Amino acid sequence: MIRLHNIERSYPLGRGQMFYVLRDIDLDIAAGDFVSVMGPSGAGKSTLLHILGMHDHGWTGEYFFDETAVHHLKSKERATLRNAQVGFVFQQYHLLDDLTVYENLDIPLSYRHYSKSERAALVADALDRFQIVGKKDLYPRQLSGGQQQLVGVARAIIASPKVLLADEPTGNLHSSQGEEIMELFRKLNEEGMTIVQVTHSEKNASYGKRIVQLRDGWIV
Amino acid sequence: MLNDLRFAFRLLLKNPAFTTVAVVAIALGIGANTAVLSLVNALLIRPLPYRAPARIVLMLEHFRAQHLDAIPVSAPEFVDYQTNCRSFDEMAVFQPGTFNFAGGDRPERIFGAVGSADLFNVLGVAPIRGRVFEPADCTAGHDDVLIISERLWRHRFNTDPQIIGSKIVANGRGFTIVGVMPASFEFPIPLFGIQGAQFGERADVWQPLAFTAQELKIRYSRGYAIIARLAQGASAKQTQAELDTVTAAMRRNYPDNYPKDDSFGITAFPLNEVVLGPMKPLLLILLAAVFLVLLIACANLTTMMLARAASREREMGIRVALGAGRWRLLRQVLLESVFLSLCGGIAGVLLGVWGLDLLKRIGTQTVPRLSEVNLDWHVLIATFVIAVGTGIVFGLVPGLVSGDPNLTETLKEGGRGLSSGARRNRLRQALVIAEVALALVLLASAGLLIKSFVQLQNVDAGFNPRNVLTMEISLPALTYTDNASQARFYNEAQKRIASIPGIKNAGFTNILPMSGTNSDSSFNIEGRTSDDKNPSPDEEFRRISPGFFEAMEISLLRGRPFRESDNADAPPVTIINAALAKRYWPNEDAIGKRISIGASAAKEKWATIIGIVGNVRHRGLDYDPLPEYYMPITQTPNNQAVLVVRSSQEAGGLISAIRTALHEIDPAQPIAHVRTLEQVVADSVAPRRLSIWLLGLFAAIALSLASIGIYGVMSFLVVQRTHELGVRMALGAQRRDILRLVVGHAAKLILAGTIIGLVFAFAFTRLLAAMLYHVSPHDLTTFGLVTVVLGAIALIASYIPTSRVIRADPMLALAHIA
Ligand SMILES: Nc1ncnc2c1ncn2[C@@H]1O[C@H](COP(=O)(O)OP(=O)(O)OP(=O)(O)O)[C@@H](O)[C@H]1O
Ligand SMILES: [Mg+2]
Repeated sequence: MIRLHNIERSYPLGRGQMFYVLRDIDLDIAAGDFVSVMGPSGAGKSTLLHILGMHDHGWTGEYFFDETAVHHLKSKERATLRNAQVGFVFQQYHLLDDLTVYENLDIPLSYRHYSKSERAALVADALDRFQIVGKKDLYPRQLSGGQQQLVGVARAIIASPKVLLADEPTGNLHSSQGEEIMELFRKLNEEGMTIVQVTHSEKNASYGKRIVQLRDGWIV
Repeated sequence: MLNDLRFAFRLLLKNPAFTTVAVVAIALGIGANTAVLSLVNALLIRPLPYRAPARIVLMLEHFRAQHLDAIPVSAPEFVDYQTNCRSFDEMAVFQPGTFNFAGGDRPERIFGAVGSADLFNVLGVAPIRGRVFEPADCTAGHDDVLIISERLWRHRFNTDPQIIGSKIVANGRGFTIVGVMPASFEFPIPLFGIQGAQFGERADVWQPLAFTAQELKIRYSRGYAIIARLAQGASAKQTQAELDTVTAAMRRNYPDNYPKDDSFGITAFPLNEVVLGPMKPLLLILLAAVFLVLLIACANLTTMMLARAASREREMGIRVALGAGRWRLLRQVLLESVFLSLCGGIAGVLLGVWGLDLLKRIGTQTVPRLSEVNLDWHVLIATFVIAVGTGIVFGLVPGLVSGDPNLTETLKEGGRGLSSGARRNRLRQALVIAEVALALVLLASAGLLIKSFVQLQNVDAGFNPRNVLTMEISLPALTYTDNASQARFYNEAQKRIASIPGIKNAGFTNILPMSGTNSDSSFNIEGRTSDDKNPSPDEEFRRISPGFFEAMEISLLRGRPFRESDNADAPPVTIINAALAKRYWPNEDAIGKRISIGASAAKEKWATIIGIVGNVRHRGLDYDPLPEYYMPITQTPNNQAVLVVRSSQEAGGLISAIRTALHEIDPAQPIAHVRTLEQVVADSVAPRRLSIWLLGLFAAIALSLASIGIYGVMSFLVVQRTHELGVRMALGAQRRDILRLVVGHAAKLILAGTIIGLVFAFAFTRLLAAMLYHVSPHDLTTFGLVTVVLGAIALIASYIPTSRVIRADPMLALAHIA
């Protein structure tokens, strides 16, 4: 499904120096896999996930998504591929402040080919599934951190992506809520969704099929 | 306070880009205001250079039945008014005159006026040297004294301290200079729109008027305008009633000269209105226009200050947390904005002065009193007030906003989702709408004026102004005492000049089209009687020499032109234009018909119509042609004439050859006011051109200020939305989705602004109606065009900042806040 070869990501430090966030990353993720990425803070986990999610284009190396060579794609083609295949849970939620919960969930659908009624049905489903029907007309700032995270997860899967990338999806959740999310992930994975999650929790990692350890930009 | 000021100054220095843009925007807004205020001050507010000018009136007669609304009076009529009216302290008549000064390198023709004894008493201006007229000067044979202007004293006499009493020769006659008027004195002032009383140049010489015994008998020869000073307490109504009594008596006493009904009369026009009135609508429109420009500049500055307030929100939050009161913060911001505004004001005044200079160079010749426009302390004080006011206006809202930071939000780390942010964005959006609306009003106005002007340029004047030179000549009555000597001069000059190599045709006329002069005369048509119901016709009348039509390229439609043989001994002939033929002989051939001029039926001399020529737009391109008739200048002589010369190429190089030719005929004869005919035509539309220049300039400023404003607000909004846009892109939005979102948002604002602007423009352009030519004040193409132009520029201004965001990775956008 996803094959990375020799991926490097660096930021200029000034005076010609480079700071490497990711070094020589080789990673194979088969369709239907459930990978947990772990590692200390600053190891480059989020960076890796944003590369997989095709948000970041400033890397070198080879990235095959199915048979498509992402490293050869123009940014517009990447966007199309991303829209079709990938859902993303952000570490910082990134809900839109001026939109209600309902509208936030609707955004991914509005950029894909769904009819109005399909969109309404899907949003209603998601609200149900995450038990946030009562919050649908609230704005993000009126939600707790955990509730915001729930909306972020719901938004990531609402358009039924083939691959779900989740950056610490349970970081702010109560452990029982966290478990629910993990159960949901397991179920989605069983239904065929490929999942890559970043987590600090051994317990969450145990829901996955395997663990990738990152340290200072290297896979160990 | 001083600390705050220092802080404000430091902030402005720290943001040179912000400061520069702000100062430029204010300077443009205030500069436009300074320039127009100077115009208004000099042309409308500053009193005319006479004592108590509000009580001075200009009196002109009317013959309504003949559509003559404002014509001069005759000598005996003046005497009647003067002896019978009690409503006036003093009354005088005057008439334009030209003076050929002999001596010096070259004879010089100087423009001036002839006036009766009380002229300077009416005006109430004392000379700086010598004396003004005395009654004794105004008797036959004693009128050989002159009063000159300070300007002439300087130029021609080197400010000679012995000037009073010195002798000079003018118009072939000896004169003594008895007075010098101050530099500020100007009379007559160009009086537009009054037939027969138009003065194109500044007067530098004044001669006392001595009526001849002959003149005092002829009631129908009208060449004088009356100027009078109303007595203290005389009301307009009572004055008019008294004048009506006098004219009624004239009708009774001289039934041959006047219609029996009251279609004849005289009106006293306040001099202020005569001089200032025609300028008023234009100046008020300009005033409105610069006010709009200033409003746009204010809107711009408000959005800029708001953007800065946003970036300083945390600073302000901390200040409040540390105990700063709301008033302190408001004062801080106001101090900054007023300081900025004053800097802009200073730059604006410089800009305004420079603009005025430019304006004078364009229009002094043709717009009355434009040369008097300057920046005096009235204008400076007004500008200062405007600058401070502007600073307060655009500092107030940002100041209030700054003084009211939302503490919990701003002080929270990475505080996002400000509820006050939405409110401020609404304000920004309202400002964008306002800028678009205001700019549209100005653009539409300028567009209509420009379209009018283009229409005018395509109007057929009835003659061809290319490669034609015109110059004025006046033959002194002392040298050219009789008709024959004048005719000899015209004939000889015409032949000599026409034979100069490079010159195709030459001719004389007493009245040049579009030169601001005019004359009309009544006539009788053979076989048609006139009575009170059908007064004898009165139409535009010109005396011309052979060669005139050819030199002007006025087309001869039928018959023949004048020839040298049409002299005083030959049977009288006349040529009429198509409009006159159509009015009086609509269904028959006018050629061969006979008309006569002159009042007394007994001595009628019938002139045969020998030709019909094309119509000429005499009063200007924007006036419809009137009926005109022409007679040979050799049969009906005139000592003032304009020489018209058509050359095969650029005529400029021929002036000296023409001078030489004239010199050979009469060495003392100067020529004056040499202009190309194209210049004459251009001058005739000069006030219009001036208004287009100004309004066009203000519209351009408005457009650029508005687009800068839109660009600024959209940049701000886009930056503010970078995170949102990044999230949207991460969630699947394509570039075009983002473009549609942001530019679509801008488009909505622009559309709202356009609609509001169109409504206002519709109302505003109605005020322009009088200045438009064959263009409706609601001309659809103009409105459509300016709307499209403004819309396009506004969209581009909002597209640029958006395109910058969408070119970036969503990653960058996300990092912006994360
Ligand atoms: N725009 C940037 N410029 C420079 N360095 C950056 C930039 N973005 C990230 N980094 C650096 O890259 C490294 C990896 O960051 P990343 O966010 O991937 O860490 P992480 O493993 O997700 O940590 P955490 O568990 O705290 O989320 C960090 O040291 C960070 O400082
Ligand atoms: Mg991270």
